[in-house]
Amino acid sequence: MTNLQMNKSTMAYTLCAIALLALPFGYDNRTILFLITQVFIFGIFAMSYDLLLGFTGIVSFGHAMFFGIGAYSVSIILDRNEPTMFYLVIGAIVAMAIAGLVSFIAGILTLRLKSHFYAMLTLALAGLFLVAAEKWRSLTKGNDGFVLQIPELFRDRTNLYLTCLISLIVLFFLVRRFTQSPLGRILMAIRENEQRVESIGFDIMHYKVIASVVSGVVASFAGVLYILSLRFVDTSVFATEVTLDALLMTIIGGVGTLIGPIIGAGIIEFAHHWLSELSDVHWIFERWIILFGIIYILAVIFFPRGIVGSLMHMWGKKRYKKHNQTKNEQKKVAS
Amino acid sequence: MDLFFNLAINGLATGMLIFLLASGLTLIFGLMDVLNFAHGGLFAWGAFSGVWVYDLTGSFTIGVLGAIVTGLLLGVLTEWLIIKPVYGNHVQQILITLGFMLVLSEMLKVVFGPNPIAAEPPAGLEGSFQLGDVILIKYRLFIILIGALVYAITFFILKKTRVGLIVRAGVMDKEMVQSLGINIRFVFMLVFMAGSALAALGGILLAPYSGVIYAEMGMEFAILAFIVVVIGGMGSFTGSLFAAILVGLAQAFMAYYVPSLSLAVNMLLMAAVLIFRPQGLFSLKGGA
Repeated sequence: MTNLQMNKSTMAYTLCAIALLALPFGYDNRTILFLITQVFIFGIFAMSYDLLLGFTGIVSFGHAMFFGIGAYSVSIILDRNEPTMFYLVIGAIVAMAIAGLVSFIAGILTLRLKSHFYAMLTLALAGLFLVAAEKWRSLTKGNDGFVLQIPELFRDRTNLYLTCLISLIVLFFLVRRFTQSPLGRILMAIRENEQRVESIGFDIMHYKVIASVVSGVVASFAGVLYILSLRFVDTSVFATEVTLDALLMTIIGGVGTLIGPIIGAGIIEFAHHWLSELSDVHWIFERWIILFGIIYILAVIFFPRGIVGSLMHMWGKKRYKKHNQTKNEQKKVAS
Repeated sequence: MDLFFNLAINGLATGMLIFLLASGLTLIFGLMDVLNFAHGGLFAWGAFSGVWVYDLTGSFTIGVLGAIVTGLLLGVLTEWLIIKPVYGNHVQQILITLGFMLVLSEMLKVVFGPNPIAAEPPAGLEGSFQLGDVILIKYRLFIILIGALVYAITFFILKKTRVGLIVRAGVMDKEMVQSLGINIRFVFMLVFMAGSALAALGGILLAPYSGVIYAEMGMEFAILAFIVVVIGGMGSFTGSLFAAILVGLAQAFMAYYVPSLSLAVNMLLMAAVLIFRPQGLFSLKGGA
């Protein structure tokens, strides 16, 4: 039964992926295609966030820092050298290595303490990176940021679109595989009951640090793609808003579902786009983030499963009922 | 020598402002296990509403009172709307208070406009006076004085009154206090209001000190306050005073001598505390 269901969901995802892959060949509105590319990038980013929050129960408030590390590493390396594929790959590797190291340090410092500490430390660390990016002008060119050249291949919007989409698909299945592995199961067990997992004999610290590192590395990859799509970097990649975006996407889409954050990314990015356009109509739409903040608070209180989580819950209930009904009917027939 | 005193007083003044923010944070955390990420928002609201009243009436004292009233009101609102529904669930508390912080700082921009607002010290506290060859800026001394006064009053309330006894006992073991027939939820709300009022007081005092206030300052100071709370120990009032002064001084001196490291030094302090004494320097109960 589970096997069949798994195939069903995989099939649905594959159909969606094929439709999205075909999209740029039949539809060429540049703004919308760019927006969808952003959705893919933030989908990866939000998915990495979900790995922490949804699967391990760790709250990070400095996820922007990994995003920013990815963005800055690749742009500095591409800027200092020729914009070729080779340096892009080097940049991406450096980005992931630094992100892995930072998340490892943050993890070993605070993950043995209460959940507040990780949230606080990552918030403070992200603040540190933001200030460093502003002050270390010789490396980052400060607040002004800089425009950079990217490899020929990615200057074409369609290629970039396809690259981001394929990255999203590959990472989605990889991360899903990761969460379904024995290691992922332990992470979920830690989320549900830390003491219990510890008393069974697992070193929970070890697993939490792994979750932290994997999430940081995936997030930095999203930062790399972001820079390829923007071809411009400035300190805003380290801003708290980036972390908040990931949080909103994950919470609204559905915590712990992996597909939820991707859908959340779509909702937030498109809503952002349209609400900013509405700011000509009324100034309140310029402050669209208030609206999101309120929705977010209400979602945390009344709707903690998010869109996908709630749908799955409802669907699961229905199936359970149906299952019971057929069972009862069978019993009746048998008797 | 001149420079040393100036930096020290500067650092002490910043430390006192951080202390006003951190003390409420740490008591709320110690008492109810709630880490309020929206605390910085209350700080910024104190600054903006205080300056607004100050500009309107021309009296700094009334401005300060206005900020405190704002703090009290927002404190009740926050406790009632935001904290109560998620009481007992850590992850949700962290998530929801950060969301509220977002709403608070965006609301600031809606109510007071998106631009930074200038603020000047009141007439009596402007300028400086000379002591030997050391120039002392009056307003900084005033902040240190107020900070010390707040510490003394709060310390007295905590140590010498019945309410303080209940709060201290609640920090140690809130179930026990509850079982003695004390409504710990009500005490918690009072502490929450007092903490918010202290944060708002810190905000309005900061305004003439830095000369300009802006919506993002809530988050900036909140990060410093979190560092202070970790260093001082969750739930320790005296700890947050010492840690705040430590952080303020470290920042003032580093900002002068090694400006690029001024924020890093606080992070390093916090990292050192987390490695060697994760419960904080003055903690009453284990932080782990």
